[in-house]
Amino acid sequence: MQAQLQAVLAKAAAELPAVHLRPDLEAAKARYVGPNGEFTALMKQMGAVPKEERPAVGKLINEAKGRLQVLLDEALARIAAAELSAQLGPSIDPSLPSPDPGPGTRHPLTLVREEMCRILRKVGFSVADGPEVESEYYCFDALNTPADHPARDEKDTFYLPSDARFGNVSKKDPAERYLLRTHTSSVQIRTMLRGEPPIRIVSPGRVYRRDTTDATHSANFHQLECLYVDRNVTVRDLKALLDHIFAALLGKDTRTRFRPHYFGYTEPSFEVDLAATHLPRVNKPWIEIGGCGMVDPTVFAAVGYDPERWTGYAFGMGLERLAMLLYGIDDIRYFYQNDARFLRQFS
Amino acid sequence: MKVSLNWLRDYVPLTASPEEIARAITFLGFEVEGIHSTGAPRLDHVVVGEILTRARHPNADKLSVCTVDVGPAGGVKTIVCGAANCDAGHRVLVALPGAVLPGNFAIKASKIRGQASEGMMCSPDELGLPGDHAGLLLLPDRPALGLPIQEALPGGDTILDLEITPNRPDCQCHLGIARELAAWFRLPLTYPQERFRGDVSAAPQRPDLLAGVEVRSPEDCPYYSAHVVAGIKVGPSPAWLQDRLRAVGLRPINNVVDVTNYVMLETGQPLHAFDARRLEGRRIIVRPAAEGERLVTLDGKERALDARTLVIADAARAVVVAGVMGGQDSGVVADTTDLVLECAVFRRQTVRAASRRLGLSTDSSYRYERGVDPHAAPEAAWRALDLILETAGGAVAGPAFQVGGDVPWSREIVVTHDYITERLGFDVPAAEMRAAFEALELRVTREEETVQPARGPAWTVAIPSWRDDLDRPIDLVEEVLRLHGTERIPPATVVAPGLAAEDDPVVRFNRQATDYLVGHDFHECVNYTLRPARELAAWASAAELPRLALANPFVDDQTHLRSSLIGGLLDSLRLNQARGVPVARLAETGRVFLEREGQVLECVAAAFVIAESSGERSWLRREAADFFTARHHAVALAGLAGLRVGELLPAAAPGWQPGHAALATDLRRGCWIGAGLVDLALTRSLGIEGRVQAGFVALLPELLPARAGVRRFQDFSLFPAALRDLALIVPEATPAGEVSTRVGHAARQAAGASFNFEGASVFDVYRGPGLPDGHKSLAFSLVFRGKDRTLTDEEVNTAFQRLQEDALAGTSWQVRR
Repeated sequence: MQAQLQAVLAKAAAELPAVHLRPDLEAAKARYVGPNGEFTALMKQMGAVPKEERPAVGKLINEAKGRLQVLLDEALARIAAAELSAQLGPSIDPSLPSPDPGPGTRHPLTLVREEMCRILRKVGFSVADGPEVESEYYCFDALNTPADHPARDEKDTFYLPSDARFGNVSKKDPAERYLLRTHTSSVQIRTMLRGEPPIRIVSPGRVYRRDTTDATHSANFHQLECLYVDRNVTVRDLKALLDHIFAALLGKDTRTRFRPHYFGYTEPSFEVDLAATHLPRVNKPWIEIGGCGMVDPTVFAAVGYDPERWTGYAFGMGLERLAMLLYGIDDIRYFYQNDARFLRQFS
Repeated sequence: MKVSLNWLRDYVPLTASPEEIARAITFLGFEVEGIHSTGAPRLDHVVVGEILTRARHPNADKLSVCTVDVGPAGGVKTIVCGAANCDAGHRVLVALPGAVLPGNFAIKASKIRGQASEGMMCSPDELGLPGDHAGLLLLPDRPALGLPIQEALPGGDTILDLEITPNRPDCQCHLGIARELAAWFRLPLTYPQERFRGDVSAAPQRPDLLAGVEVRSPEDCPYYSAHVVAGIKVGPSPAWLQDRLRAVGLRPINNVVDVTNYVMLETGQPLHAFDARRLEGRRIIVRPAAEGERLVTLDGKERALDARTLVIADAARAVVVAGVMGGQDSGVVADTTDLVLECAVFRRQTVRAASRRLGLSTDSSYRYERGVDPHAAPEAAWRALDLILETAGGAVAGPAFQVGGDVPWSREIVVTHDYITERLGFDVPAAEMRAAFEALELRVTREEETVQPARGPAWTVAIPSWRDDLDRPIDLVEEVLRLHGTERIPPATVVAPGLAAEDDPVVRFNRQATDYLVGHDFHECVNYTLRPARELAAWASAAELPRLALANPFVDDQTHLRSSLIGGLLDSLRLNQARGVPVARLAETGRVFLEREGQVLECVAAAFVIAESSGERSWLRREAADFFTARHHAVALAGLAGLRVGELLPAAAPGWQPGHAALATDLRRGCWIGAGLVDLALTRSLGIEGRVQAGFVALLPELLPARAGVRRFQDFSLFPAALRDLALIVPEATPAGEVSTRVGHAARQAAGASFNFEGASVFDVYRGPGLPDGHKSLAFSLVFRGKDRTLTDEEVNTAFQRLQEDALAGTSWQVRR
């Protein structure tokens, strides 16, 4: 009996690993443990075994049965695995590139703008917006720019034809002309005209100058301006803000200094220099970065604020210039060409 | 504007180094754009020595061996010299061992032809100075032995190139800058002293030289004076005057012209001298030019004038473009003996307009455009007369002809210490403030104590006529701060009360749109707003185009406001393709300008393009983006703007490929959305390879919600859904949306109140065998669900049957079985 069992097991052990298809395995299984299977036949001989030998033979049969089942299970698992892998195809090569596009990238001007806005939000500024087509009043008159100021010259500022009609850009006086804003200060005027102080806004946006395009000039570029109006706002507060934002953006080693200057809409006015020699391509001890000052009382009067009650400061700078400084970009035109090799560098 | 430090020292005894002075000017508020020194270079170990003896070199005919005493710099040295003029007794400049001369020429002790030499005596050339290089530079003034070169040689100067801000016309001259520096360094300011300050009322006028002055447009010329000087002799200016002019970049002409230029550079007042005999009719008339009147200006160019241009004329013709440039044949020439000196004030706008029209900017027009002090003009005339008499001789013939200019000047500002301190945010002592005013010649006429709770004094400050920019107390805050020093503003922390309001909805939309697009693998681009007409013509109708044009474009390819962001994105796509840079997805957010019913609307917009192929071959192919990809993104962007987009209709608009793009224009509400294939002829004409899908949303900024609406939770059923499929045969032209709407409506009706119809989605569109010609089959999967129970087949079937009847009623549609 034992020999017979061994023989059947040996046969199964030899045959089953070679079975590769599920129907073949089913057939093989039937040959061993089916109603007419070899192993079934051996089990049927149990009835002929003398009573005293039965426990020992039964044990032998059970052991053999267990081992046969293992062989069958292994064969089944192997076939199932082979079927699955046939379904999945060959294993992947993780070193192959993805055929999908991307990842997407934010434009460096967006990155710098959003970073500045994030820094400014933390100190109470909210981000304001306004039209790019403006009227002379919001761009110049309300900002204390005299009627004959060179900035208003057609040589320097883009105008729309005198009969142009803009459905959603308001004018103060029907006779004034539309133009492309030369600074985002017009947003300050519109914001102040809309509500009462205190006001703390940052207005980033596109502005236009009638300039030749070269490595450092562009007919349109982006500015970011801050305006704070409250009681008892001082020059010292203004300096503190600039120290804060540039240290936050460019690192603690960054210092700022004010040089007295002249702007029609602030008094006193300053140009702001940065000392940031730790940045790439910065080879001067001080770099001019923007202009600022205390809001001129004339501007407050234009928007109906009492200059005796309210004081404020304003600050503005070019975003391209800041991005060029931050990233070490040496030509402003790169920002407007959108070469993907440029765009992929900053995100 | 160029200023010479030597010249400034005429008025203020500056001892600081040029660098310190440049720094002072910077912090006074004038940008120093350039700084360069002339004269003796700073060279270490180059000192004055005296040649004691000269002997012939034993081994060389042309060399001498000299003993040279350099005094405290090292006593007597033996030096071999090749110059012919190294005679005993001369004082010369000696480069001692250790000196490095221009050209990186290092001086060492050495042997020359066997003879020790402890340095070198220098020619001008070797010191980098102009002059004859054949011999040693001799110092006839016999400066002290051992004196460093820069102290031994005269003529050194430093020239600063300054940018003067438009509020400070008083600083467009040396005296103005000197006044500022005197205030900064707290040094005395000395005004020029005139030798001749004639009372000429007794001198007879010379009607034979000048008979009269007439000003016909006094608003353009508020002041005009003409002095006559008779008996002058024109010739070269003295060296000091020529040197001054050359130092700041002017070419000396003759003594008279040089004086007028000198006084302009000194006082800021432009002056002009006529040859009296060349003034027709011996008259000066200030008048608008006649239309088409011609004048050959000093630069030799013939100028055509118009009636807006002010001229100085004689009885016959224009002789000067007022405030800009003189004419060629009325000025002082070599044989001029009698001159007329014009000293005038012209309206700034008049001069600016003339200068612009003629494209002619001069030292004179620059100063007039920014404003000259009418109250200082007579002083400048006297200063010029004084220098003319000094350099060209002659005599002033009687009092000047003068028109206008008799408006008195008086201005006072009252400001308190408290006011200034409150604006500054830090304390500056009252005494320092008052000292600052007075240093700037802002005379404090009165000082009073203020009333509690204010602290410190109140000052009444008299403003001089040249400081027209000072008009209000705040203007004096700046003066205090300038002299205190902006570098001394104390540091502080930002005080931020919780004021942050919500960001503007436009800002939030742009941010969300950018996030969405970047998250979907787009590269964010920034393109110019101003586009060429030919690009816009592809996207705007012929009626729209002129509405978007600028009045004064600058270059041909930036003439119009963009009506679409897609034009710029296609441009960027083309650029990348042309450069061989693989890229498929580009996007931008920004303003566009849409013309509607004769009005232009400034809109917020987001747009994207997807190139069918990035240009990069790949080992694994993806299905190309199609209309539905583009529409998906466009609708999603509109969703970010809070817009729920209904159906897009097939596009019949420029820029889009007919039959393969769709638009939704919601005119009343002011939003536009579109997606699909960019016109193939357009992409081909742009030189773009492959097809491009694009999409955009544009809307009026005022449509963006100020804040997101509140959403309410809607409960949903946890019971299983019952699904039914329905295929309908409909005419080819019937849009799926129409069928879907009708089926949905019927399904809701059929389900009634007893259970829910959750939606119908298209899962198959079939065209081909088995269908009538010109028809298609649309298959919908319908979802029904009970609120509170599992639906029975029977009730769903009943509803399904009913909805088919309802949906088909009145149509030619059929159920496909």
